[in-house]
Formats: sequence, C-alpha cells, structure tokens
Amino acid sequence: MSAAAASATTTLEVRGVTMRFGGVVAVDDVTFTARTGEVLGVMGPNGAGKTTLFNVISGVQRPTAGSVSLGGVRLTGRSVAHVAALGVTRTFQTPVMFWGLTVRESIEVALAARAFAHTYPPAPWRDLAPAGLGLASTRRTRVAVRERADAILARAGIAAMSERATESLAFGEERLLEMARALAVEPTVLLLDEPLSGLNPDEVGAVIASIRASRASGIAVLLVEHAVGELLAVADRVVVLDHGRKIAEGAPQSVAADPLVIDAYIGDELE
Amino acid sequence: MIAQLWQYVLAGVVVGAIYALVAAGFVLIYQVTGLINFAQGEFAMIGAMTVCALAASGMPAPGAAVLAVIAAAVAGALCYVLAIRPARGANGVTLIFITLGLDVALRGLGLFIWGTNPLSLNPFTGGAAITIFGGALPPQALWVLLTDAIVFGALYVFFRHTHAGTAVRAAVANPPIASTFGIPLRTFAFWSFVAAAAIGGLGGVVVAPITSATYDMGLTFGLAGFVAAVLGGLDSLPGALVGGFALGIVEKLAGGLLSTGWEQGVGFLILVLVLVLRPQGLLGRAARRA
Repeated sequence: MSAAAASATTTLEVRGVTMRFGGVVAVDDVTFTARTGEVLGVMGPNGAGKTTLFNVISGVQRPTAGSVSLGGVRLTGRSVAHVAALGVTRTFQTPVMFWGLTVRESIEVALAARAFAHTYPPAPWRDLAPAGLGLASTRRTRVAVRERADAILARAGIAAMSERATESLAFGEERLLEMARALAVEPTVLLLDEPLSGLNPDEVGAVIASIRASRASGIAVLLVEHAVGELLAVADRVVVLDHGRKIAEGAPQSVAADPLVIDAYIGDELE
Repeated sequence: MIAQLWQYVLAGVVVGAIYALVAAGFVLIYQVTGLINFAQGEFAMIGAMTVCALAASGMPAPGAAVLAVIAAAVAGALCYVLAIRPARGANGVTLIFITLGLDVALRGLGLFIWGTNPLSLNPFTGGAAITIFGGALPPQALWVLLTDAIVFGALYVFFRHTHAGTAVRAAVANPPIASTFGIPLRTFAFWSFVAAAAIGGLGGVVVAPITSATYDMGLTFGLAGFVAAVLGGLDSLPGALVGGFALGIVEKLAGGLLSTGWEQGVGFLILVLVLVLRPQGLLGRAARRA
C-alpha cells in the first residue's frame, strides 16, 4: 500500500504509551491520535518526554507499555526501517546528513530508495538482489528522478545549493535539506523534532511554509517545538506533556489558556 | 644507475597495480560493512589458480579467465552468506577473527584442490617486451594496467553516476538513517563481498602469467593489499589505487637497492609509519564529526 493511498483514511494512534528508564518514567500512559492532514503540536517543558515519545513512535525505542499504530497497523515492535517503510518519517534535533553526498544526491537517493522501502520487509531473495535501486536504471529514469529532486529542492527554497556538498552546509541549511529529504519519501506521518531551533527568520518562514504544504498534501505532521508562539500559530491541535504525562489536549488557543499548562511552563522556568 | 632505478619503478608499477585491485576489495568491504576482510588475498589466489588449472586442462584462456573471476565471486558470496552474515551483531574483533579464519580456510581449500605445485599461465598476448624510456615491461603488464583502468573506472561510474552507487554512499555515511529510507544495508554488504572477491579474482587472473600461481599466494597479496589500503586510506577507493602503486614501487626499489629481503619487509615498515603518522591514510578522511 502506498503512502498516498493510505493517507486518505489514516490516523496515527498512540495508546497508553509508557516508557520507563529504570526508576524514571519518561512517558507516562500517554494516549492521543493524529489525523492525516493536520498539524499536531506536542508541547511541554524540557524533559517532558517529547523526544522519547518520538523515539517510541518511530520505533527507535520500544515502549514499556502501550502501543502505536498507523491506520490500524501496529507499529510497536517493528524495526525502525519497517516503521519508516510503513510511512513514518522523522527529523532530528540535530539534523542528520549523508556526508559525502551533494544536496541533490541526498534527495535523489531518498527518491530512488523509496520503491524498495514500500515493499518492506523484503523477501529473503530480495535481501540479496540489487533491489531496484536503479542499478540498471535507464537514462530516462535518472533524468526523471533528477527533475523530481530539483522540484523538491525548489519547493523547499534550497534549489540554489543543490550542487553543494552536504559537509559544507550551515546548520539552518542542513535543517532545510533534512526536511526536504523527509518529504521526498512522501510519508504518511512526519515527526519534526524542534525544526525551528537554530534557524534565522527566513529559514523559519521556509520551514513553516513546508509544514503547511505538508498538511495540505495530507500528511499528519507531529511538531515538537520550543518556540511556543510559532507552534501555536501553525498547529491545528496541541497535546501538552509535563513530566511524561499528558496534561492537556485541544485547540491551540484553549490549551494556551489552560491553567495547568501555564502552571507547567511557569513551574519549569522556576526550576 | 638511473636506468636501473627506472626498471625497479616499472616493476613496482606492475605489482602495485595488482595490490591496488586487492586494496580496492578491502576498501569496498570496509566502507559498506565496517569490516576488514583478511581473506581478501585468497580471492586473488582463487582467481589465479582457477585460470591456470582451467587453461592447463585445455580451456581457451578467455573462457578460463571469466570462469576464474566467477569462481572468486562465488567464494566471496559464500564467505558472506555462510560466515559473516550468521555472525551479524557480533563485535568487530570477533568478525575480524572470522575473516582470519576464512583466510586460512580458503588457503587450505586451495591446497586441497590444487596441491603445492606452482601453476603457470601463458601471457594473454605474446610479443617482445615493451620499452619505455629504456625500461622494459612485459606485454602482460599492459593487461594488468588495462584491468586497473577498467575496474577503477567502473567503480567511479558506479559510485558517482548510478542511484545504487549513491545509495551505497548514503549507507556508508549513516547506516541507521539510510535504512529508514529503505536503503538495503544487508544487500549492499552481500554485494560488497561479491564485488571485492571478483575484483581480487580478476587481479589474480591478470597477474598469474607474471608471478605464476601457488595455493599460498593469497597471503602475500592479501597483506600487500591491506597495507596499500591502509596507506591510501581504508575509506578511499582512489586511495587504494595510489596506495597500491606506491607500495609496489617502494617494494621494488627497496628490494633492488637494499636486498630482496626488504621487498617484503618494507610494506610493514610503511604500515607502522602510516598508523603512527597519518592513521587515516594518504587520501582517507580523518575521523568524521559525530
């Protein structure tokens, strides 16, 4: 099933997720859903469990209790690669680049690998086969992939740097590329972990435009962001975590006015 | 004196071209799997022994050469499937010991199949020695250099101009993230063994008419290829090429000017110097930022 076909009906369900590290409860019985075509803001003071929650959703960490499913398909217990193949893509607080590739190649490789990703898990024989990664690709398909990569870079506002080596990028440029690369795989769910931090105002505008475009194209965007003003402006709904527990959920304005939420943030600042 | 030195350099270029091929195998496997495959030299042995044995049994040389490369590639595939892959998840030292075991096993297999007698092969083409600035090269040397040009050219095109090659580079840069994009790491690991073995086998085929072939030649070529790869940089294919030629030339100069005993020993001297002075090799990258 392609991500595009799934996106019309899919919801991401996080049900009763608890994540304990020894005696520390990083995420405590958190339940919510995210629908495709909406931006769900995930707020909370430092240490509230936001990144841990992303790790659980993307399969990096297996929850102590609870489960995550996408469109009725259980994600919990699957490998990171399998979760990704089912349509969950993420970005990181510190952007992760493929050093040695140019900016355009970073997008091209995501596009070329996609065909393989959506047939995950590979059959045993495919494990050893060249796997349709364009080893025998014709000139025409290479040109097509290149054109699509250029279109994605243009949409992300980074067409001018397409020939540059990823090692040469500044932090903000890495963020924009990471976001474009995540969108190149046409995910059903996009997890963005503080995509605005460390960006200049122009770059912030570009990322927010990308988030809005993703929502319009039917992606469920989960947004963790410390810039509360920007988060409340772009999110359709907000979930607030504090000390691992969900303390509020709803429309941005009502959540912002919630005394519990204000308390949590003020309490954090006093600590 | 100059003419003598030049002759040593030419001889070094020929043997260095073979080291470069073996080194390319080390680099391919190291880049894709993070593993140093000490069985690498045995693929050259399998290529050389197979082509000699088949040619001696009356098979035309081109057919024997193709079958020899295929034999080496199959050996590489079996090494991965039977020994490396079942041990995935084991730590690096364990895997290195596995490849050392493979090295011994393959050499033993060579001894079992072909015995201890050296096998020889006629040069691919006859003719007189070629003279370059007064130095002589056997005609077979041109085949060796042509093989290097084709192999490294093909690797360059693969890595720079195919999606699969780009995907391998992405997998090398960051395996866990690459796998989330659907880049099949294990597929690449398998094919890196096959490609490294085929390239090593090809090196054995083209060198066989020059050195003749013995069951234990893999040890020499494996160690030289390893030194060449470290010298050039374990993560750099151009480094393998440079390291191979540099080692070959230095060996022949040392052997000619000092004594033939130095020919073998100088490689280890280079290895120690590189590891102390420039661990990333001539063309390798220093440890990347985290």
